[in-house]
Amino acid sequence: MSEPAPVIELRDVSKRFYFYEHRTRSLREWFIRRVLRRPLHVRRAAFSLRDLSLRVAPGEAVALLGPNGSGKSTVLRLVGGIYRPTSGTIVTRGRITAVIELGAGFHPELTGAENIRLYAAVLGLTRRELAAHYDDIVEFAGMGDSLDTPLKYYSSGMEARLAFAVAVCLDPAILLLDEVLAVGDAEFRARCLARLRSFRDRGGALMLVSHELDQVRAVCTRGVWLDHGRVVLDGDIEQVLAAYAAAGALEPV
Amino acid sequence: MSAVATDRGAFPRVRQVWRYRELLRGLVVRNLKVKYQRSLLGFVWTLVNPLLTVAILVVVFSHVVRIQVPNYWAFLLSGYFVWNFTLQTLSTGTWIFAEHSRLTRSVAFPSELLVFSAAGSRLIEFLAEIAIILGLLIVLHHHGVPSSYALVPVLIVLQVVLAVGLALPIATLSVFYYDIHHALPIALTSLFYLSPVFYPASMVPVEMQPFYFLNPFAGLLTLYHEVVYAGHWPEASLLAGTAAAAALVWVIGYAVFHSYAASFAEIV
Repeated sequence: MSEPAPVIELRDVSKRFYFYEHRTRSLREWFIRRVLRRPLHVRRAAFSLRDLSLRVAPGEAVALLGPNGSGKSTVLRLVGGIYRPTSGTIVTRGRITAVIELGAGFHPELTGAENIRLYAAVLGLTRRELAAHYDDIVEFAGMGDSLDTPLKYYSSGMEARLAFAVAVCLDPAILLLDEVLAVGDAEFRARCLARLRSFRDRGGALMLVSHELDQVRAVCTRGVWLDHGRVVLDGDIEQVLAAYAAAGALEPV
Repeated sequence: MSAVATDRGAFPRVRQVWRYRELLRGLVVRNLKVKYQRSLLGFVWTLVNPLLTVAILVVVFSHVVRIQVPNYWAFLLSGYFVWNFTLQTLSTGTWIFAEHSRLTRSVAFPSELLVFSAAGSRLIEFLAEIAIILGLLIVLHHHGVPSSYALVPVLIVLQVVLAVGLALPIATLSVFYYDIHHALPIALTSLFYLSPVFYPASMVPVEMQPFYFLNPFAGLLTLYHEVVYAGHWPEASLLAGTAAAAALVWVIGYAVFHSYAASFAEIV
């Protein structure tokens, strides 16, 4: 049986970060340390991910699980092209929408409509591509009249709704969500989950980090449990959640 | 299909910038909208500050320290706003990545677009300024339209290439060394005196001129003086030399930026 070609493929990916005890942050200090022949930085390297391999097929919705610092967000940022891997290769197919921070690029002085355009451009859409999705975004955000109001008069809930609407309506091949599911009221959240399910069922690849396990269950088909940058368990979402709970890593739900 | 490992070198970078052209347009429009808050009167304020400086320089250098240039005000106007454009584009560079740190940390886009957009919104203001200046000089100085004005668009291109080529490494270094924004004003003040902004390059002693023209702004401003103020076609060697210098600054500046750009998301 042949599997569909993966849209996300990580091969032996490692990511090293530095933790600084001392970091030279000024030219003045740079000169002084050069003259005194002292090291510019005192730092310790640590691997956030180590030799991680992962393939995600179209139509899969993958939840990354694990304690804080296990490398979940690093995986999303690597797949989204925000970080470069220290070693290993990452291959992706199709447009990626990475929502690491909801509404990055929003400006308070611009109106809702202007911010939709700017955020779509931030996510890499051309004007023509946005035009095809614009009405959908407006309808999904469900805030008709306030679109001509500057964003600074929006409540934080409205702002998050607008950002989320842009992110999920752009119809990418790969959607990455980093703890951004908990927005809006119950009705809006239900619509978000329905939207993500239909995105998945139409062949989109979803990868998300969330601590809201009910939402994870409602959307995801597969779980990847990470610990210290390595995969502990990768499989059906219910099995991985059960094993994760049995290990005492989370409260039973 | 895109493979991160092969996404290096100049051509993928150019393709990526082109792909994000809508973001460049969006950022330029945002910069201008936020600055002017939808009021056209705002542009008057943008003009008042440099015009006051011009007025002071005109008084000082035509009545106190007498620089022997006919219609000194016209001479000064032909170069001062070019300098002002450069000054502001470079100063913006020192905080542009810090200001957009949320964006850089969470979205994969070619971050040079932030520098381009700062230069782009300044460019639109400059186009309005130069149009006014050209008009003033046609009416009050040349009493006609000199044919050399056809060269102004070329000079504007050189000016943008030079300013962006310098702003990119300045913005890059500012990510790593916060005191760049203390050092830059000192460097820019020196550059102001070492460039022919309020005096013509011809006043520089002949034996010093080869060194003097190592500063690409000496070439650029002299070209503006020739084309806009004197209404002459400049010497081809000056134009070619300045173009080559601007291209060199751009290539070096971009290389510095490019060698650090990949790590911005982890630092800002």
